[in-house]
Amino acid sequence: MSDTAVKTPAAAPTAPPPKRDRGRLLKALAWVALLVVLLAIPLYLDAAWLKAGQYMMIGGVGAIGLTLLVGQAGQLSLAHAFFLLAGATGYTVLSGPADDERVFGLGLDPGLSLIGAVVIAALLGLAFAPVSGRLRGIYLGVASLSLVFLGLYFGQSAETLTGGTSTGRTPEPFSLFGFPFTNGGPEIELMGVPIRQAERLWYLFLLLTVLAFVVAKAAVRSRVGRSWRAVRDNEAAASVMGVSVTRAKAGAFAVSSAYAGLAGAMTVLWFDILKPDESEFGTYGINISIAFLAMVIIGGLGSVPGALVGALIVNGLPQVLSLYSADLGWFSGTGDGALTPILVSSFVYGAAIILVVLFEPGGLAAIGRRITPGRKPHLPEEQDK
Amino acid sequence: MKRIYPAVALAAVLALSACSTKAGDSGSSGADGSGVKTGKGATASEITLGVMTDKTGVFKNLGLGITQGNELWAKDFNAAGGVCGRQVKLETVDHGYKADTAKTLYPQIEPKVLGFVQLLGSPVVAALKQNIASDKTVAAPASWSSELLDNQYVMIVGTTYDLEIIDGLSYFQEKGLVKDGDTIGHVYIDGEYGKNGLRGSQFYAKKHNLTVKEVKITSTDNDLTNIITGLKGAGVKSIVLTTTPAQTGSALAANKALGLNVPVLGNNPTFDPVLLKSPAANALDKLTIVASSVPFSADIPKAKEVATKYKAAYKETPNGGIPYGYAVGEVWGAVLKKACENKDLTRDGIAAALKQTTSASTEDLVAALDFSKAGTPATRQVYAATPDASAEGGVRYVKPLFEAPEAKEYVAPHQK
Amino acid sequence: MNTFLQLVVNGLGKGAVFALLALGFVIIFKATEVVNFAHGSLVLFGGYLVVVTRDALGWAGASLVGIVSAGLLALLLERFLLSRSRHADANSLALLTIGVDVIVTEEIVRRLGVTLPFLGDAWDAKPFQLGGITLFRTHLVALLVAAVLITAFTLAFKYSNWGVAMRAQAENREAAALMGIRSSRVTATAWVVAGVLAGVAVLFIATQDFSGAGLSRGTHSIALAAFPAAILGGLDSTAGAVVGGLVVGLVEALSAQYVSFDFSKSAVFLVMLVVLVVRPSGLFGTRESTRV
Repeated sequence: MSDTAVKTPAAAPTAPPPKRDRGRLLKALAWVALLVVLLAIPLYLDAAWLKAGQYMMIGGVGAIGLTLLVGQAGQLSLAHAFFLLAGATGYTVLSGPADDERVFGLGLDPGLSLIGAVVIAALLGLAFAPVSGRLRGIYLGVASLSLVFLGLYFGQSAETLTGGTSTGRTPEPFSLFGFPFTNGGPEIELMGVPIRQAERLWYLFLLLTVLAFVVAKAAVRSRVGRSWRAVRDNEAAASVMGVSVTRAKAGAFAVSSAYAGLAGAMTVLWFDILKPDESEFGTYGINISIAFLAMVIIGGLGSVPGALVGALIVNGLPQVLSLYSADLGWFSGTGDGALTPILVSSFVYGAAIILVVLFEPGGLAAIGRRITPGRKPHLPEEQDK
Repeated sequence: MKRIYPAVALAAVLALSACSTKAGDSGSSGADGSGVKTGKGATASEITLGVMTDKTGVFKNLGLGITQGNELWAKDFNAAGGVCGRQVKLETVDHGYKADTAKTLYPQIEPKVLGFVQLLGSPVVAALKQNIASDKTVAAPASWSSELLDNQYVMIVGTTYDLEIIDGLSYFQEKGLVKDGDTIGHVYIDGEYGKNGLRGSQFYAKKHNLTVKEVKITSTDNDLTNIITGLKGAGVKSIVLTTTPAQTGSALAANKALGLNVPVLGNNPTFDPVLLKSPAANALDKLTIVASSVPFSADIPKAKEVATKYKAAYKETPNGGIPYGYAVGEVWGAVLKKACENKDLTRDGIAAALKQTTSASTEDLVAALDFSKAGTPATRQVYAATPDASAEGGVRYVKPLFEAPEAKEYVAPHQK
Repeated sequence: MNTFLQLVVNGLGKGAVFALLALGFVIIFKATEVVNFAHGSLVLFGGYLVVVTRDALGWAGASLVGIVSAGLLALLLERFLLSRSRHADANSLALLTIGVDVIVTEEIVRRLGVTLPFLGDAWDAKPFQLGGITLFRTHLVALLVAAVLITAFTLAFKYSNWGVAMRAQAENREAAALMGIRSSRVTATAWVVAGVLAGVAVLFIATQDFSGAGLSRGTHSIALAAFPAAILGGLDSTAGAVVGGLVVGLVEALSAQYVSFDFSKSAVFLVMLVVLVVRPSGLFGTRESTRV
């Protein structure tokens, strides 16, 4: 019988803290469930609601781009609408028929034209780099506003490209490897529901939005994202650390413009027409730049999922309220000074901006972080400014 | 752990499939007892017509007037028995002069209506152009641009902007205000409205050897003083305006203040009675408006009747939109009656009836209309009027319905 | 030549009003580093109060009410919204003013309905001729009023207690606070002053001589012209605001005639862009330099 009891070493902790794992699991499940729901929506909702949803996705793609620029890289830009116009015109010109006498087109495949439009917008963003390099803060913001006015002038005068403000021009309907995203082509049914233009466009936009989201998240986590945040927080320190400030800013503008260009191409596919604005308030006007800024503030500067939620609110609210009120008869007064859905949604989104800045400048993203259980913020993109 | 994901996905799918999909939803169609075919927007007792208007944006005044005119017509039409035993119902939505809102609202309203009695706003009309053609919904846009006539489903009730100007310039020449070889100015808003008006003055100028100083502005420019300064320097004998009422006020005020004092010609949307209460009021005597839809205060029986009914039903300051909205209703009534005769109240039936309408009468609220020739304006006649604070609706005639010889020769952009 | 002179006269006249707007803008920026996107709403609000009280108080009384209310609204904004946003930095506050702007503008435009009020009863549409050139009384009065107010403010900045306090705060907020300068009082006064200037400006903007739009959404767009004017001159320079305003007025008038009218809008912003590229802080703004 031995006296010496051999103490087994205490078991090293093998399992990671259980709370953290559960939080991550729940989050992933939530995303999966969301994806399933989004894929299934065209089976349940009518064309009007699908149209509204597509419009929200356009906002989402654009907002993601702007939040990268304003939130991650700290560059205030009011020029987003200009890049939307660039992408819209790019897609229409690249894919337009080459033999039209009134307007110029290159007849390229729509898929290639879409990529081309994004590239054109990105290049224009890069072209603005010398200006963005020299200016800071609000001066940059107001200088970028001049691009919107230039866009207005371009839209009005370059009639062979844009079709002019009186009639505009029709873009080529999108098709991928021959499969048209219109009512034509092979008749498809999913669970008894015919998949026609509204449904097809929904799936296309969903694909583009998911791609945009994934790429943005990757950018934020990568070296590029870190260099943007360094420039945002302190330019002098960033350059001391070896970050090329001008390159980071130029890159941020290029990426953000690329997103805006994609959103612009989606816009013409949604409207079935490219029609440059008749004044500085329109489809590609100051009001649109401000709307994107609102989406980004409400969602939380720098937060990619926040941008999507912001787009849901700013782009979605007027559409949804209009649709509902037509159904329910709310706000349907005629007559002077009537309160209509459009007015109500303007009030709501103005109030949302005020409330966000007053109480939670980190936007909905910060609120979201506070209510999800468990995980401590450890990823740099989640640090509040 | 990873096996959970597909399980969740499956669960979500099963849950969703428990709710019914929209498969199997289809429009109603068929025929009623007396063999009249019906489709979307027409039931056995009702016909629904759509109104997509502006209640909150830049054209809310005009939108309000036209909608009220539409409503007055519907009431009268139903009181007289409707058509084919059916009453007319109006389904109204507000797009706030925003093309994106209109684009989303359209799929919601489209299945409910047989056609549109009002579609206000050129960006809205442009955004919905494809939809109207593919859904075959006859629509009456509140725009008088002949560029829209390439679409057979578009029903323009009245003379188009280009012809308004041609008739107007002819009237000015008749009165000796403009002579061959003169220089005139034309201030126009960029877009469908302005460009169409300009087409008219360019045509007339070529015929009479006039030089046109063209000035393009946008719908939000409100100060035309610098422009009028330039036109004065160019020695114009007359100015043509294809602008908004605020811009018209500014142009006329500058015309007087700068001492230019030339006669001014304006398309029908250039004037709004509120200008008579602005400081530009005493400069308005130089303005002549040409329109094919009568002023609110016109001295013709039908207009007086509409005016009385309006005042009994609504309290806002009336404008020219009211008799116009009523007139569009009347034309719709004529088309519906023809479709009823043809026993076809489907969308195709309405389109066919429209083509057969060679003379729609609106009891002189608008000139007699002929919709049978594709791409051609339904009429080329206009009234000439001038602002007058003592008249209700703010204008009075100076020349009743007429058509200039040059107007007969003019070929509209899509005229075949 | 006559045309050129007339255009210059038109341009300077409107420029004086832009200068008033830009000055208010710059005062707010100097005191708080916040860019006030809601300036257009202050203008509209003052104008709306004039419309509402004109029948009861006559034009002069109503104008006073308008000016005071615009100042009060500015004060309310500052006290209840801006100073309460504890966590927010200057950029976020600027974005907050966008939210305010949306709400106030939409509500006032809704209330104005189909009316088109003009607010310059004392001087509107009373032009007189001087050797072939037309002088608009509105412009002349605006120039005079602007000159008086701007001189008053420049003197106040240089010599009054408030002016010194504001300049100290603009230089270094913490040091100023340590010296006993009540930051909240300085800021609030700055906002009130800006509001009052907006209330004065509207009496010239909502006139027939200035624009056909009267008091309407168009007035708000005109206030947008304050941006390039203030930026051009340098956001923290009151002299710059004045120069900026006059430059904007002249560029607008001359490019409308000698390039093309639809270019004149872009022309103003283009000129601003060129100035900024050459001098990134505006013509008279203080230059930030970072040396690494």
